[in-house]
Amino acid sequence: MPPEGDPRTALGYAALEMALYSSLTVDEHLSLAANLRGCDARADELLEMVGLTYARDLSAGQLSTGMKARLKLAMAIQPRPAVLLLDEPSAALDEQGRALVAQIAQEQTARGALVVATNDPQERSLATHELALEN
Amino acid sequence: MNSPWKTEVLAVFRKEAMTELRTKSGLATGALFGFATVVTVAFALFNINPNRVDAVFRDAPLKDVCASLLWTIVLFSALLSLPRAFLAEEENGTADLLRLMARPHAVFWGKMLFNILQTWALSLFLSVLFIAFTGLEVPLPGVFAFCLLGGGASVAGAVTLCGALAAQASNRAALAGAIAVPLLLPLLQWGVTGMKASFGGGFEGGGIAAAVGMVSYAVLVVVVGPWIYAAVWKS
Repeated sequence: MPPEGDPRTALGYAALEMALYSSLTVDEHLSLAANLRGCDARADELLEMVGLTYARDLSAGQLSTGMKARLKLAMAIQPRPAVLLLDEPSAALDEQGRALVAQIAQEQTARGALVVATNDPQERSLATHELALEN
Repeated sequence: MNSPWKTEVLAVFRKEAMTELRTKSGLATGALFGFATVVTVAFALFNINPNRVDAVFRDAPLKDVCASLLWTIVLFSALLSLPRAFLAEEENGTADLLRLMARPHAVFWGKMLFNILQTWALSLFLSVLFIAFTGLEVPLPGVFAFCLLGGGASVAGAVTLCGALAAQASNRAALAGAIAVPLLLPLLQWGVTGMKASFGGGFEGGGIAAAVGMVSYAVLVVVVGPWIYAAVWKS
């Protein structure tokens, strides 16, 4: 395991515009992320949690926007980060996906800090503190 | 290299290999360019005098030309395919994903390791093709192999470094080419000298010295490259 405070494991990040490797499969993304960050891949557990077990052998190029968002969430929480940054996490997700974001937010706040950038009222309800950025 | 480093470098290497095997963009481009050039060169050389091919190749000046041509083909094939390793990451937006998860040394070494193997495969394929098409004799195969391996590694290292340094610039492809020129000049000189010696057109000692020069160059890039890359890596 990397030393405590190493940003590769202490920080999780997921955003809609973040790109994935279109030729790598869902499983390979999780394996790559785990090997680079020196953490456990937890592929079975994470894929079941985000509802992508059936798509583990599909390449990222074959995934819908919502499925990509779920994979990015799985990669973001993979190292159990102390700080999780989510940029409009529900933007490409259906109702089940929104529930998943709420579950991830609940688990993260119990473990560390969660920062969400959003305009969505439902996502704002996850927050304990709000900071409005104007202009 | 301790265990976490090895795991990280191999992870980047595996990613590069899987991406290349599935898209075949770099290798196919380099191999097609190389194949077309070898065929063109072979036609051009045979057209000098089709009945005197053996005699022509015994002339030292033509061995110089063959050495230059083969080295130029290998170099340009590598130049076509290798800088993509870093430039494609920026263009596809996946560079940010790597920055979040990886350390710069692992990224550089992983990509360079893959580029070296790709260049070796490409240069071996093109050399065999060149020799087969032209009927050129290689009286010093050891020097030839040493030059090919050392030259391939040094070209791959230099081009990887150029791609890495230019990747975050707005006009990245042009910048990578501009940086590559001064870095590749010594390799052109050593490559041609070494190849010429292996074809029997120069001194064996000079060929070995050129190959040692290229291997030393490759080692220098392997050691220094990651530190330079780390300086331009956006945290």
